[in-house]
Amino acid sequence: MTRANANPAMRRYMRRFIPITFAYLAAIALATAVLPDDAPADALTISLALLPGLAILAWLWAMARLLIELDDEYLRMLEVRKFLVATGITLAITSVWGILELYTPEVPRMAVFYVFPMWCIGLAVGQVVNRFGFGDPGPC
Amino acid sequence: MKNRLKVLRAERDWTQGDLADALAISRQSINAIETGKYDPSLPLAFRIADLFALPIEVIFLRE
Repeated sequence: MTRANANPAMRRYMRRFIPITFAYLAAIALATAVLPDDAPADALTISLALLPGLAILAWLWAMARLLIELDDEYLRMLEVRKFLVATGITLAITSVWGILELYTPEVPRMAVFYVFPMWCIGLAVGQVVNRFGFGDPGPC
Repeated sequence: MKNRLKVLRAERDWTQGDLADALAISRQSINAIETGKYDPSLPLAFRIADLFALPIEVIFLRE
């Protein structure tokens, strides 16, 4: 267990992450192809719209399992730092934008859909922060 | 926190990878501890002390 990517927890995480990513992309493609913009809020529409949400829940589960199963405390610390950076960035952007929306109606509304992709971009920023802070981007 | 890990490892002619394998942790962890970027938890510090058969305060020193 001398390399981060040789860590069994990381291998398990990647085995979970890749199919979930494909499921998410397929669900988004399906919902986009089948549902018109003015689709009624019937059972079919809601079911198809919830499919990508299930994939996101699965992603969150996979990330939680990674933190639980990662037995190398240094790698786990790097991963937690990434999550904190991502959470901080997401909270900062959405909170400030939300206040802008509240007091200035001309500001375009931010779709809640963007919160999770924003958090994922924050993970990449967290990796850069780790690289500068520890010279080590982390296990993934 | 300062530590003598690198010296102790060199005395035994161990690589970072050897030490990482012996402790069942990543080589990155060893590097981060040796360079002072990361202070290990108390359980890991005790495992390191046990491996070198030394008291913990001989390996990890106050600033």
